[in-house]
Amino acid sequence: MLKKRIIPKFLLRNGRLVKYVQFFEQEREAGNPVSTARVYNDYGADEFIILDIAPSEDSRQGVLDSIAKMSEQIFMPFTVGGGVRTLEHINDLLRAGADKISVNTQAVRDPGFVKTAAQAFGDQCVTVSIDYKAFAPGVFRVFTDGGREKTTHEPVDWALRMQDMNCGEILITSIDRDGTLSGYDVDMIARLNEALDIPLVVSGGCGGLQHCIEAFNAGASAVGISSLFLFTDHSPIKLRSHLVSNGINVRASTSSRN
Amino acid sequence: MSTVAIIDYGRGNVRSVANAVEYCGADARVTADPAVIDDASHIILPGVGAFGDAMEALQARGLPEVLHRQAFEKGKPFLGVCLGMQLLADRSTEHGEHAGLGWIAGEVVRLVPGPDALKIPHMGWNAISVKKPHALFEGLYPGQLNFYFVHSYYFRAADPGSVVAVCEYGASFPVVVGKDNIIAAQFHPEKSQDSGIEVLENFIAWSP
Repeated sequence: MLKKRIIPKFLLRNGRLVKYVQFFEQEREAGNPVSTARVYNDYGADEFIILDIAPSEDSRQGVLDSIAKMSEQIFMPFTVGGGVRTLEHINDLLRAGADKISVNTQAVRDPGFVKTAAQAFGDQCVTVSIDYKAFAPGVFRVFTDGGREKTTHEPVDWALRMQDMNCGEILITSIDRDGTLSGYDVDMIARLNEALDIPLVVSGGCGGLQHCIEAFNAGASAVGISSLFLFTDHSPIKLRSHLVSNGINVRASTSSRN
Repeated sequence: MSTVAIIDYGRGNVRSVANAVEYCGADARVTADPAVIDDASHIILPGVGAFGDAMEALQARGLPEVLHRQAFEKGKPFLGVCLGMQLLADRSTEHGEHAGLGWIAGEVVRLVPGPDALKIPHMGWNAISVKKPHALFEGLYPGQLNFYFVHSYYFRAADPGSVVAVCEYGASFPVVVGKDNIIAAQFHPEKSQDSGIEVLENFIAWSP
């Protein structure tokens, strides 16, 4: 059967990896993207997500260069996003070595863009990224522009609409939980899993091995992890063996070469 | 040293395939040039995207005839990957009906979610079972037979004899098909870490 996935998710700002709490607080430097990708490849992560959180004309070329370098050295799938607005940009990212691209703000501005991109490059390579936040208890809204702009969209409705636009996968991030290590938004994961026919990658809040089990039990296809790997002594290897011993269907071992 | 022509018809992530082939120690040539293809010892047809669009792109470059000559007259080892596997079928029903290269009998049809309401695309790592020993998997032990997939359609082989490996997702379906010097995989060896690299090394060393 298809395995559940462990996906380190990293944010890029001016060519360096960074990490915040709830998107804007406590900026921390987290290293060089290419060497970090190499480490997580050796650790046997299943995929890699890289998001440029301060996209600009300059950063765009920098991201393409990083992707090209990664794809020379690591042979695993990666999703790249942040500031993706045009088909040409998607094509550049895919040609540089990305397997999937993620769209967030542009999908809200022009939902048809997702459909056009899916048609041009294949459904499977278009991930829609949804950042959301509670603005009243139990009431959630989708945010764009790196968490700065609130929209009128409710996350589950929005995810369904994006599925109708033929995206291949949904990546959700709870802004409230981001960087807090307080656990995934399990209720939202369960609601989305129930509603969606496409794979669901969840992120925001992972702070321990048990949180991943909760997310998978709620129906996540993959867990996106940043702080847990960057700032604690946990690794994909440790997580994987914990998941296996708790009956979660992940790859049991990943390395065979010496 | 093997020289591998990686067919570039403007679709998909050819660079990753070339990088993985180079990593295996072969000479990778990303190309659509018949002369370069003719010089190569091995051929890889990659591909990501929609079937009909990819066939048109191959035809626009005159590649179906070029590749046919290499595979059938010259008998070069030929590897189709993902959409490059599906293109070898007779036809596909992805967004309308489209004729394929017709090298391996079968058709490409959509995966169905089934009673378990499985997520489509079939995306991620899955285990395969090898039904017929093949050079591609030589030296890989069963625990290593996990590969990275991302697809919504699959190759329904007409001749069970062409099925080399299958995978389980709701139902069992062919993921590696082949005959003689032609082999094709639905998964991405270039994205399957160590297991994928071993498969590519095996392909590069293959002299059927």
